[in-house]
Amino acid sequence: MTNAPTIARAEPPGQAVPADVTAMDLAARGPLLLLIGSGIAWLVISGLFALIGSIQLYSPHFLDEYSFLTHGRIEALRDTAFVYGWAANAGLAVALWILGRLGGNLLRATNWVFAGASFWNVGVTAGLVGIAIGDMTSFSLFELPRYVLPIMLVAYGAISISGVLAWAGRRTEGAFAAQWYAFAALFLFPWLCSAAQVVLLWSPVRGVVQNVAANWCAQGVWSLWLVPMALASAYYLATKVSGRVLPHYEFAPLGFWLLIFVGSWTGGRHLIGGPVPAWIITMAVVATVVLLAHYAIVALNLGVVFGARGAAASFIRFGLIAYVLGGAFDALTAFRGVAEETQFTFVTVAIEQLALYGGISMMFFGGIYYLVPRLTNGRWASAGLAIGHRLVVMFGVIVLVVTLGVAGWTQGVDLLDPKTSFTDIFEHVRLTLLIMSGAQLLLLGANLLLLVNFLQTITSTVVTDVVAMSPLREDTEVTVS
Amino acid sequence: MKNGPLIVIGLFAGLTISWAGIVLGTNAQLGAQTPYYDDTDSLAYPQRTSGIAVQGQMVYTDLGCASCHTEQVRRPGFGSDQDRGWGDRQSVARDYIFQPRPQLGSLRVGRDLANYGASKPDPAQLMRLLYVGSVTHPSFKFLFDNRQIVGQRSDYALDLEGSAAPRPGYEVVPTARARALVAYLLSLNNSYAYPEARPAAPEAKTSEPQKK
Repeated sequence: MTNAPTIARAEPPGQAVPADVTAMDLAARGPLLLLIGSGIAWLVISGLFALIGSIQLYSPHFLDEYSFLTHGRIEALRDTAFVYGWAANAGLAVALWILGRLGGNLLRATNWVFAGASFWNVGVTAGLVGIAIGDMTSFSLFELPRYVLPIMLVAYGAISISGVLAWAGRRTEGAFAAQWYAFAALFLFPWLCSAAQVVLLWSPVRGVVQNVAANWCAQGVWSLWLVPMALASAYYLATKVSGRVLPHYEFAPLGFWLLIFVGSWTGGRHLIGGPVPAWIITMAVVATVVLLAHYAIVALNLGVVFGARGAAASFIRFGLIAYVLGGAFDALTAFRGVAEETQFTFVTVAIEQLALYGGISMMFFGGIYYLVPRLTNGRWASAGLAIGHRLVVMFGVIVLVVTLGVAGWTQGVDLLDPKTSFTDIFEHVRLTLLIMSGAQLLLLGANLLLLVNFLQTITSTVVTDVVAMSPLREDTEVTVS
Repeated sequence: MKNGPLIVIGLFAGLTISWAGIVLGTNAQLGAQTPYYDDTDSLAYPQRTSGIAVQGQMVYTDLGCASCHTEQVRRPGFGSDQDRGWGDRQSVARDYIFQPRPQLGSLRVGRDLANYGASKPDPAQLMRLLYVGSVTHPSFKFLFDNRQIVGQRSDYALDLEGSAAPRPGYEVVPTARARALVAYLLSLNNSYAYPEARPAAPEAKTSEPQKK
């Protein structure tokens, strides 16, 4: 466990062409850029849904004449585009790349990745259309209609072949934390998704057992899939951008196994006071508190990013703070006394957004800003757009989480007082929600900047390269970094 | 961590243990729950939902109503659920055994609906809420037909006033989906007190010992 990656070179400051582009990067760039590009596109689409949905919260009649834009469907569309569109695509790109780089071989089966990524995105598109026309399921984070799930599972399998080969064929006997996390995500999602499908959609369990199973599934999507992909990115980049050995790396395996074994038990905190067996909730409360150790270890390991410079470092820094804060708030609101007030309010949404947008998405952004120049063997087309995106997206997330939190707290206090009617609550939170939708607008704008910058970057590098018919530069050698 | 197979086994174990514990564990405990037969009433509770109400639950699902409404009442003293008149007792697992898609919900932008039907709301008013909406509630006009009256006015036509009223000679008629949704909402009634739902009211610290 002492073989932490030691990389001397920190990320070069500014917008220089990275010096460590390898043949490995160039060989894998087609499918990985497809994943990243579709991820960013879904993020923009999800942002559009989020904006509509947030306006509907204070102006309920906004676009309510269209059945496909009714608030319930918009929320499902936003969620699905965000998780299965953005997070999945971006996370898979980063995970595959890390497994390839740390494994020390060219990524194999990249054609499978390309085909898989195409079909995955066809699946997401079909799923969104399905939700819009009324085929959504009743399970949060798992709203995709059941007819698209088989194709998505197969597509996922095709994408992960490459990662599994890179893992199995790695040149070093040991593996680094980034590799465990990346491999865990690749390996666990198909099992999770199949197990959830069987008990929820194909042969549904009865009564509230369904809600408990759906809750397990939603927690699994988070703890066993999204977080491992994000932490793979964060662990890899933390060493890269700081140029240092991760401190207290000997605890990293403990942090990893805590997430896998304990994280999946924490979902029941959302069911406090609900018609489910009390032990589910008690186990979840205990697990949520035990999981604080995981957050502490991650913070301890990744603290090195606080001394580093560059876009990737600042995204990982933001992501780390948000991720750890999210864990702390999870533990806090898991206590029944606190949950009495915060449950069923926007506070839960705020914590979810803090973790999803502030935590893992920032870690993916970090990965993307580090990856794209290496995959394209060029620089970002516009430094201004990159800085603009970074500042606006960070500001937007802060405003989003704070306003949701404030609105949720007001709503929670009001809900506890039976004399306050829902019309009053609506009036009390209206202004805060208005600011919240401003934050959604900012986020949408910021991610549009990223999309434009990304498209310009690949047109100016990859397309030029393809035109010049020289996809592999001869002067690069395969090196392991 | 050098042992690849061990990592794979560990990952698989982490997933399987939580799945077995949470999903299979709950299923073993509640999966075979039966209705409760009340000797006095000579009836079993909960009563089966009617076919149209089951269809209505599908409409409730596909419109995503659960993104703003919950269908679970917390125990007396925990939150203000009882004081708001959402139910006299906490919801228990048995309430949901006949629901194909129980939707407990996670956000209360609107009121809880677990016992909506028990408060005997006016169906016509509910239809109007769905058609017109309110300050806090969106309208669902796409669940209604605004059509010319041919012959006699439909029995189902909504009585609307003001700006929501249809043009003269026209009527607003709920579609089958709207009628199913309303039937479902009116069927929501978990007022029967099961034995397991009885240990309620923690504030009842009187001389009488609490019933278990």
